[in-house]
Amino acid sequence: MKITVTVNDQVYIRDAAPSKNLLHFLREDVGLTGTKEGCGAGECGACTVIMDGKSVNACLVLAPEADGAVIRTVEGEAVMGELSDVQQKFMEHHAVQCGFCTPGMLMSIRDLLQRTPKPSEHQIKEAIEGNFCRCTGYQQIIEAVLDVTGQLTKDNKGELRHV
Amino acid sequence: MLCEFDYLAPLNLPELFDALAAGGPDARILAGGTDLLVNVRAGLVTPKTVIDIKKIPGLQGLEYNEKTGLEIGAAVTVNQIAEDPRVQKNYSLLVACAESLASYQLRNRATVVGNIVNASPCADMAPALLCYEAQVVITSKQGSRTVPIREFFTGVKKTVLVPGELVEKILVPATYAGASGSYEKLKRIKGHDLGIVGVAMLKKDGLVRMAVSSAAPTPIIVKDCKASDSAEVLAKAALEAIKPIDDVRSSKEYREFMVQVYVKRLLERV
Repeated sequence: MKITVTVNDQVYIRDAAPSKNLLHFLREDVGLTGTKEGCGAGECGACTVIMDGKSVNACLVLAPEADGAVIRTVEGEAVMGELSDVQQKFMEHHAVQCGFCTPGMLMSIRDLLQRTPKPSEHQIKEAIEGNFCRCTGYQQIIEAVLDVTGQLTKDNKGELRHV
Repeated sequence: MLCEFDYLAPLNLPELFDALAAGGPDARILAGGTDLLVNVRAGLVTPKTVIDIKKIPGLQGLEYNEKTGLEIGAAVTVNQIAEDPRVQKNYSLLVACAESLASYQLRNRATVVGNIVNASPCADMAPALLCYEAQVVITSKQGSRTVPIREFFTGVKKTVLVPGELVEKILVPATYAGASGSYEKLKRIKGHDLGIVGVAMLKKDGLVRMAVSSAAPTPIIVKDCKASDSAEVLAKAALEAIKPIDDVRSSKEYREFMVQVYVKRLLERV
């Protein structure tokens, strides 16, 4: 069936099987492979995208359910090769190691920041509770979000502290 | 997906019931999809037709009225409940249960009605709905019937629903609006795990009411207790109601122990 989606401000019209999920539709039909498949069952969050303003697990949305939807994926973060603010802070804080969880993690954080521009540490933890990271231990990711929202400052030893 | 199916998105209830009748046993209703698509992927269900109910305007409603209470349409998501100021003000136990369910992005899709229709013993919305004496409105081509939530679950993943029926909405009466309530759930990790055991507590005037998840074939209600009862009396009542089993997630004894811990903890907080 014909499915029309707007992904990162660009319209795509593709023919896909109605039983295909949004994750595979984005990767195979739209050609955006930034969004990853981890568990495929709504547990790991690697496939998190923002659909009509809300974060969702793309593995648990059928492509036809997304017909007409406005979607944001990790590919919409960097503009003209320039990292987004959150991506930049991820890099600075070593919030990426293998990188597999990063696309989903970034979208969960993007969703958090549109709801809560200055989240507390607790709110950050809650926002990424559906995103598995097996490398960083999460602390660097939390620090990156605190930093991007202006909540980290350098003490007199040059170490970062929570404001 | 492992199986191929057709996708239908009816725009009203008559169209939906026609599609259900035409699809027969190979048709499945799709609301949030957070249970259905997991089961399809695992090969546990192999539908030939998937019928999306989210385009039916009548199922989107989340209404509150001081006299009649809360009405939750079949397409209302768990996050809609958790983030609604009227629900937050009047039904704190519903919010506590909603916030404990899976992860934020999953709650953006998962529906309250879907959670009880799936009828898992660990359904997180069930303990709250049991405590509030919710009514389940079941509609088919022939008309509607209303079933108290206490009679809705009949076994593990089993309900009173028969083929051709849809849970159209849930009514949460105003009787306990404003009552203090909370939910405690044991699991290995927050966000992506099935509950090991959960206890909900609701307190209003002289009454304490509890419901327990993951400790019997269905989510289960405990007989009413008095607000003056001690934690020991409440815990004893809860233990009499439940029938926990040993399984991969926990032993029967650990579940019983944690029910007592949670009853005590909730009594201090609620």
